[in-house]
Amino acid sequence: MKILVCLKQVPEKDSRYKIDDLATWIREDDLVFETNESDVYALEEALRLKEKLGGEVGVLSLGEERALKTIKSGLAMGADRAFHLSDPAFQGSDAFVVATAIARAISGQNFDIIFTGVQSEDMAFAQTGTILAQLLGWPHATIVMEVNVSEGGKKARVKRELESNLFEVVEISLPAVLTIQSGINQPRYATLKGIMQAKKKEIRRFSAQDLGLESSQLGKTGSMVDHQKMFFPEKKKKTVILEGTPEEAARTLMERLRKEAKVL
Amino acid sequence: MPGKTLVLAEHRAGKIKSISWEAIGFGQKLAERLNQELKVVLIGKAIGDLAEEVSRRCGQEVLTLVNDHCETYTPEAYCHILSQVAQQETPFLFLMGHTYQAIDFAPKLATRLGRGFIPNCVDCQIDADRVVFVRQVFNGKINLQVGLKGEPPYFVSLQQGAFNAYEVQSRQSPRVVNLTIPLPDEVLKRKVLEIFQAAQGKVDLSQAEIIIAGGRGLGSKEKFQLILDLAEALGAAVGASRPVTDGGWLPKEHQIGSSGQTVTPKLYIACGISGAIQHLVGMMNSSCIVAINKDPNAPIFSVADYGIVGDVFKVLPVLIELAKEIRK
Ligand SMILES: Cc1cc2nc3c(=O)[nH]c(=O)nc-3n(C[C@H](O)[C@H](O)[C@H](O)COP(=O)(O)OP(=O)(O)OC[C@H]3O[C@@H](n4cnc5c(N)ncnc54)[C@H](O)[C@@H]3O)c2cc1C
Repeated sequence: MKILVCLKQVPEKDSRYKIDDLATWIREDDLVFETNESDVYALEEALRLKEKLGGEVGVLSLGEERALKTIKSGLAMGADRAFHLSDPAFQGSDAFVVATAIARAISGQNFDIIFTGVQSEDMAFAQTGTILAQLLGWPHATIVMEVNVSEGGKKARVKRELESNLFEVVEISLPAVLTIQSGINQPRYATLKGIMQAKKKEIRRFSAQDLGLESSQLGKTGSMVDHQKMFFPEKKKKTVILEGTPEEAARTLMERLRKEAKVL
Repeated sequence: MPGKTLVLAEHRAGKIKSISWEAIGFGQKLAERLNQELKVVLIGKAIGDLAEEVSRRCGQEVLTLVNDHCETYTPEAYCHILSQVAQQETPFLFLMGHTYQAIDFAPKLATRLGRGFIPNCVDCQIDADRVVFVRQVFNGKINLQVGLKGEPPYFVSLQQGAFNAYEVQSRQSPRVVNLTIPLPDEVLKRKVLEIFQAAQGKVDLSQAEIIIAGGRGLGSKEKFQLILDLAEALGAAVGASRPVTDGGWLPKEHQIGSSGQTVTPKLYIACGISGAIQHLVGMMNSSCIVAINKDPNAPIFSVADYGIVGDVFKVLPVLIELAKEIRK
C-alpha cells in the first residue's frame, strides 16, 4: 500500500492576527506555525494502515521554507519520505492551483490512497482533496471517520460522518482520495528515535517550473476565484464584557445572571 | 444582469433542510436584485410532492431530477446530473447551503466544469454589475471578500444561519418540471452500504436548562474537572466542543455543534471555546450565552451576551465557589 498524506502548515490555533498592508494575507512576523489539525489525524491513519498492510507513507506539503517544520514532524512521526512544493509563485493560490500542483508532483508515483485533512484552519476551503481527486480521475470520500482496505488493496470501505450524528458506510475503488476528520484516531507523538531517523529521510523539492506550471497557472492569476481582501468582522451582538480581576468579573457575572438575565 | 440563479435544495426524510430554505431565501433576494429568474433544483427518488410544496412556498419553478439511483446521495451521480443541469440551464449562480453534502460534491462539480467554488459564505454585496461574497477564514477571526472570476456559472455555498429564509406563499399552482438525465454505469460504481444514526447515548442535552461547556482551552482531561464541578454546583448539564471529545476527555455524546447535538438552554456558559462556526450552529440559539476566553478576539464573543476576557483557571474556581453559595 503506497499512501500519500498532504500536510498543510497553518498558524497556531490561539494566534492573534494582523492583516498585512495589501489586505490579502496576514502578517506572519509574530506567528508560530503548526501542522493543520485534521492533517495530523490523516497522517496517523496512514501510518496505521502501513503498519497493518505494509508499504510506505509519503508526506507532501506545499508552502514556503517554514513548511519544512511540518514536513520534518511528519517524517519524525513515521512517514518514509517527503515532497516539498515551494515557490514564491504559489502565493495567493486557491485550492484549485494547489491541487493542480500536487497532482503534477505525484504523477507516476502510483499511490494507492491519498489522505488529506477535511479542511484547513486558515483558509477553510475544504476542497483541495476533492479537486485533486477530480484532476486525477479518482473517486473520493470526505469527512472520513474509519478506513478499511479490502480485496487485496483494490477497494476501501470507509465510514463518513454526516450531519446530526448520522454516519454512512461506502465502498469505493482504489486509488482514491480520502479527507480525514479529526477524532478518527489518537495521533502518536514523534519519538526521539523518530526525530533522529527523520534527518536521513528523503525530501524531494519541486519548484513551479519543475512541475511545468507557468505563472499564468499560479497564484491569484491561476486561481478559479478572486480573493480580493481580508478584513476583521464586525461584531453583530452587543456583548457586555465584565471587567475587573477574575474574582470581580466572576462576581459581577453571577449577579447579572441572577438579577438581569434571571437565568439562575 | 439577466440570467438565472439555481438553488440546489437538500432534503432528508421528506423534508427540505432549513439551511436550504436559507439558500432559497437568499436566492430569491439576489434574483430580484439582479432581475434574474430563480429555479430550485431537487434530486431524489420520490420527490414529486416535496417539489410541489417547495414551489408553492417560494413561488418559483422547481426542477426535479427523479432517479431511482438517487435515493441515496453519491458524489458521482450528483456531479453527473448537476453538470448536465448547468449546461442545459446555463445559470449565472449555482447556490446551495454549506452542508456536508456540498463539501463532498461541489468542488468536484465545479472543477469538472472548469469553474471555482466559493464555500461557506456569510455575506454578499450586490451592485448592479458586481456580486461579491464574504467568507470566514482563520477560524472565524478574519473575513475574506471573494469576487466571481471567469465565466458563469459560479458555484457558491452559504453558511448556516447567515441568511434569512424568505418565502412568498404563491397563489399560482406549483410549477414543477422534471428533467430526465440517465446515469451511465461508470457513475454507479460506488456502493453506499449503510446509513445509520450513532448509538443514542445517555446524554440528551436538548432538554437541559443550563449547560456548562468546555473546550480545548481547558487543556487536559484532568483540568476539565473544573467544568464538571461548576455544572454540578449549578445543577447543570455538561457540554463540550469537538477537540474535547476527539481527545477522549469526555464521551462523544457531550459534543455540541454540527456533528454533535443542537441545544437551546436558557443559559449556556462556554469556557475555553473559540467559537468555530461548527460549534456555534449547535448553541447560538440559547437564550443567554456567556463566554469565558482569554482571547478578546475569539469569535465566541460575537454570539455572547456576557463575556469575561480572562483565564478559565482563575475564573472558574471563583464561579464554582459562588455557585455553591447560591445553592445553599
Ligand atoms: C466538518 C466539521 C465538523 C465539526 N463539528 C464540530 C462540532 O460539532 N462541534 C465543535 O465544537 N466543533 C466541531 N468542529 C471543529 C471546529 O471547527 C473547531 O475546531 C472546534 O470547535 C474548536 O474547539 P475549541 O473552541 O474547543 O478549540 P480552539 O479553537 O482551539 O479554541 C480554544 C479556545 O480556548 C481559549 N483558551 C485557551 N486557554 C485558555 C485559558 N486558560 N483561559 C481561557 N481561554 C483559554 C483560546 O483563546 C481559544 O479561543 C467541526 C469541524 C469540521 C471541519
